[in-house]
Amino acid sequence: MKDYLYDGSFDGLLTAVFYAYTEKEPIRLFKETSYRPYLLSEPVVVKTEMDKSDRVYQGICSRLSHTTLTNIYYLYLSEIPDSETLAFEYIKLCFKYTDTINLAKNNDIIRTVDKYAKRVLMESHRLKGFVRFKEVTPLVFYAQIEPDHDILPLILGHFKKRFSDQHFIIHDLKRGYAIVYDLKEAYLHDLSIEQGEKLLHFTEGDPFEELFKSFYKSVTLEERINDRQRRSYMPKRYWKHLVEL
Amino acid sequence: MELQEKLEILSGAAKYDVSCSSSGSKRSSKTGDLGSVSTSGICHSFTPDGRCISLLKILLTNYCIYDCAYCANRRSNDITRAAFSAEEVVDLTINFYRRNYIEGLFLSSGVFKNPNHTMETLGSIVKKLRIEQGFKGYIHLKAIPGASQELIDEAGLYADRMSVNIELPSDESLKLLAPDKKKQDIFAPMKQISSNIVLHQEERKKYKRTPLYVPGGQSTQLIIGATPDNDFSILTLSQKLYDKYDLKRVYYSAYVPVNTGAHLPEIKNPPTLREHRLYQGDWLLRFYGFRAEELFTEERPNFDINFDPKTNWALNHLGHFPIEINDAPFNLLLRVPGIGVRSAQKITSARRLAPLSYPDLKKLGVVLKRAQYFITCRSKYHGSVDLDEDKIRHVLTPKLDLNELDNPYEQLTLFDKPSSSQLLLPPMHAKLLLVEDRPTALTGEI
Ligand code: SF4
Repeated sequence: MKDYLYDGSFDGLLTAVFYAYTEKEPIRLFKETSYRPYLLSEPVVVKTEMDKSDRVYQGICSRLSHTTLTNIYYLYLSEIPDSETLAFEYIKLCFKYTDTINLAKNNDIIRTVDKYAKRVLMESHRLKGFVRFKEVTPLVFYAQIEPDHDILPLILGHFKKRFSDQHFIIHDLKRGYAIVYDLKEAYLHDLSIEQGEKLLHFTEGDPFEELFKSFYKSVTLEERINDRQRRSYMPKRYWKHLVEL
Repeated sequence: MELQEKLEILSGAAKYDVSCSSSGSKRSSKTGDLGSVSTSGICHSFTPDGRCISLLKILLTNYCIYDCAYCANRRSNDITRAAFSAEEVVDLTINFYRRNYIEGLFLSSGVFKNPNHTMETLGSIVKKLRIEQGFKGYIHLKAIPGASQELIDEAGLYADRMSVNIELPSDESLKLLAPDKKKQDIFAPMKQISSNIVLHQEERKKYKRTPLYVPGGQSTQLIIGATPDNDFSILTLSQKLYDKYDLKRVYYSAYVPVNTGAHLPEIKNPPTLREHRLYQGDWLLRFYGFRAEELFTEERPNFDINFDPKTNWALNHLGHFPIEINDAPFNLLLRVPGIGVRSAQKITSARRLAPLSYPDLKKLGVVLKRAQYFITCRSKYHGSVDLDEDKIRHVLTPKLDLNELDNPYEQLTLFDKPSSSQLLLPPMHAKLLLVEDRPTALTGEI
């Protein structure tokens, strides 16, 4: 068995898929940074090559479908440990049986792909609600998040459209980068935890945070407390960055 | 009075209005605008009771000239009264919005001076938000029963959704508990909003510049258990509202007594399981192609709370079953207990490639615990008992009689004995945990 290690970029993943495709033996795919060597397999470091990645990308678009490509992208964003190997198996399956194999909702690979993609989409939808901005200086807003999956690229458009008249930064602390919007463009940019802390230094007591807290308290129906339900919609791991909790 | 205290009073007073939806609207916005609406709706937080917080839900004021028996704000109650100024509402909305706390504003009010004055003030606030502040977020506005046609016409130009709460499902109940409101006053604005919506939609087809009118549609709320109205008449009313006025949602709210009074029932235990079953029944009307007349008979005008409404229906119509998974059309699959919209879609998708086997069904999300009695798979019946009403009813009946448990006049005694960990749960929570078929997000939608 061989373990292909790529640099963590989407192009890197597609390059690894390109080379893995020609192998006869079972292949597993990992990010170089998160790889833990395994006794029975041989690690192979794959360097990203844009032309190879392009060929895989075009091949999927033309011979499979955009939906399939999107699924692969979601698998990549999911950062679930076996997701890259799954992506590879998924691509092989689709090329073997054509894109219609996606209809086989009882197939284990298709089911797992759907499940992971759903998790990523679910989290990006949730975070559209759970992002909490702090006003650092008038009309400049900063938020911290720590999502399970790498969802910043998926929420960028939403926030850009919604808050087009205010500067904002949405900082993924786990991955050390952020969405930055400067009233013209929204882009992804590296941002360290320390830089984030500096931004927070500017904030002073925000009266609206207090107001939102009292709003949160007073809309609760004491007669119907149901904490299990609350946690199923809003899992505890997100609470850290929610001002009302 | 401090803003904080006002907010506490006036959001606390609005909390029994259960609707929270921010979905279904469309309103274009361009760069430089503040705000957008999301077609699927977004929850920004969840209350400890598990409801979605999507909108800044407040009353403009809790002063009221009326005296509806069930309402905490009724004239005869001795409570602290407060009122926001228009600026305060605008300020709160914009600042909460910019911090991404909310999708927008839900503005309701007690009736002060008279219905027209109230409606006019509400209308002027949303106009201010839209015109002066250029706010493009979601606005849900209450239409005040009895307000003039012109005021409602105008307010609808700025709102994404409007609602008039019917609250009481029948004329008699209304007379008894809300003597100041006439049925006519409630249905007139509803009718008017719905015909305005149609009118504007038609116009927009011809002239692109026609303004939007309540693009997110209307909703209403019914109180469950404050009056003797049965489930049949409640869902028949909902069906009428969906058919005739094209309502987007009807919300149901188990009656929680905040007042006492001659005409009010002495409820010790809000009928939340019944509320849950009504939401499920409502779901059947809107997404599963059922009609209210199919779900009930004159002799059985209430759901048996022990079963979900679809199982109820299936048990009473066993002649329609079993259904063959591999060739039944989509709309018949939807009628099988344990098969939801999503699993029905997966079935029709997967069987295009190859006939499905029984173990496949579990992978497709079918709840076999219920579905097994109503289907065949490759012509084989897999139920643990014969296809016989009594036998199936027997295996599906929960050990605890949920009808007893939901009896509004009995205090819950079930968990009095310190026999299980459930003792730690508040009764309301415990009660809903007993329902096996808890679908996601019924009362609070995502
Ligand atoms: S009109 Fe509304 S606020 Fe006034 S008493 Fe009746 S329900 Fe309450």
